[in-house]
Amino acid sequence: MSTAAALIKRNIKLFFKDKGMFFSVLITPIILLILYTTFLRNIYMESFTSVIPEQLSVPDSLLNGLVDTQLVSSLLAVSCITIAFCSNMLMVQDKASGVIKDLRISPVKSSTLSISYYAATFLSSVMICLIALVLCLIYMAIEGWFLPLADIGLMVLDVILLVMFGCALSSVINFFLTTQGQISAVGTIVSSGYGFICGAYMPIAFFGKGLQTVLMFFPGTYGTALIRNHAMRSAIAELVKQGLPSAAAEGIKDSIDCNIYFQDARVGIPTMYIVLGATIAVLLFIYIIMNMIKKGNK
Amino acid sequence: MEDIIKIDHLYKSFGSVKAVQDLSFCVKEGELFAFLGINGAGKSTTINMICGQLAKDSGTIVIDGVNLEQHTEKVKGELGVVFQNSVLDGVLTVYDNLKCRAALYGLTGKAFEQRLQTLAQILDFQDLMKRTVGKLSGGQRRRIDIARALLHRPKILILDEPTTGLDPQTRRLLWNVISDLRKNENMTVFLTTHYMEEAAEADHIVILDSGKIAAEGTPLALKNSYAADYITLYHVEEAAVQAMGVPYEPMREAYRLSVPNTEKATELILKYPHVFRDYEIVKGNMDDIFLTVTGKNLTGGTER
Repeated sequence: MSTAAALIKRNIKLFFKDKGMFFSVLITPIILLILYTTFLRNIYMESFTSVIPEQLSVPDSLLNGLVDTQLVSSLLAVSCITIAFCSNMLMVQDKASGVIKDLRISPVKSSTLSISYYAATFLSSVMICLIALVLCLIYMAIEGWFLPLADIGLMVLDVILLVMFGCALSSVINFFLTTQGQISAVGTIVSSGYGFICGAYMPIAFFGKGLQTVLMFFPGTYGTALIRNHAMRSAIAELVKQGLPSAAAEGIKDSIDCNIYFQDARVGIPTMYIVLGATIAVLLFIYIIMNMIKKGNK
Repeated sequence: MEDIIKIDHLYKSFGSVKAVQDLSFCVKEGELFAFLGINGAGKSTTINMICGQLAKDSGTIVIDGVNLEQHTEKVKGELGVVFQNSVLDGVLTVYDNLKCRAALYGLTGKAFEQRLQTLAQILDFQDLMKRTVGKLSGGQRRRIDIARALLHRPKILILDEPTTGLDPQTRRLLWNVISDLRKNENMTVFLTTHYMEEAAEADHIVILDSGKIAAEGTPLALKNSYAADYITLYHVEEAAVQAMGVPYEPMREAYRLSVPNTEKATELILKYPHVFRDYEIVKGNMDDIFLTVTGKNLTGGTER
């Protein structure tokens, strides 16, 4: 146990001390923040106000809440994955620099090594994402919108699940990487690409039908939908309470990926949890099997 | 002395490249064992197999009476390895690096602190504890590498070209430390090096060529078998040297004769006593042995 703890501590320390790696994880959230502050915020504000009947008087705090919760859910959905990916690159860096030889020369089991990478990635990513969540909640409170405690709790659960998914996916992909060049290539692709395919930069509902169908086979889509539902449902419920017709509220939910459809069938929240949980389990199983096969072939 | 490493009919291939072919040798407990060969001769492959980093194709490796294949983890606890290049975490401090590595051997708390203090004193790095490893000089980093390898008091210390690129002062310090460890703790040292003067200090040498043993023995036995003796004659005429019928080369104010062994040198002295008034006889060095055995020059690893 002390061996695993020492390795986890080492991995976490390395992640936070390696400034290059640490700042590269912040690229996607920064792009997202810039997009929102420059034009996306206005676009979404206009989009929401256009579906609200003119006779309905909606306080600014509620409108800000709608836009901000969408930003927060996008930010968290994308960060949980990209941070986990970048953090888990330590596994590849150890291979590229030869440090792994020094770890493997000791009597530590290879399963302990693999678990330590996963656990350290999970802990450092969860730590950063939960700090990001707290900062987002403070920002929304300043803007005048407070999330119910239950929804905050569910968002914490979503963050944990998404980070677990990011760690498991990156463990499987990073397993095959061995060089610094591959680290840069995969890091860049994930950092810049995941924001698009998870619907963080633009809701999946805006994409073409074909692409939407493809994205529904990506487990990350369900994670984004979960966090978006829990972040935005109180604001949308408040809109309905203020007099917005239910049909219009459902339209908003459809347009911002709170409602997602697989083969035209609406996917419920429990199903989203099942898909995400099952994916994590399958990826972890694959990761374990790959390590066992590698050990046998060594 | 007991055999602490026993390698028997070891084979390893990478595709069509036969890296190690039918390698068998033993290392006695407490001895300094030198493993020589040009780059690509199979040294690192063999070391990686001994350390359990690489699977062998066939053969057996027994370390301290334990079969490596059956008890890899146990054997790893007996080995300390200093790699060619430093493999510590560059962004962490010396203390953090050593603390983490010690924990891999179950060495924590007070036991770790005590061991660290001892090693810091021996290797003179008390002032470097809070420095990040990446910012240390080559010599300082090498001392930390050796401390890392010695943390768990291994029975066998494997040194893979440990002094390459080091300044003479650090090289001397390292060899003094290693010599003390052998004397005081009966530690076995398994060395690969490109410095022939280091190999000459070994108790036993194995020369590897294309994955096979080309020669082995003590430095003296190897010199006697593979290196010629040199006689340097001073203050003689060239005609007198020529008359002896032995290959020679002129030097400044002297002639250097090459004779197959010391016996032949004695014969010449007895036969031509008037020529041998001012002379010296030296045995061939490790470079000569290596060249004779492999036909290659070790430094730089190129064929001559």
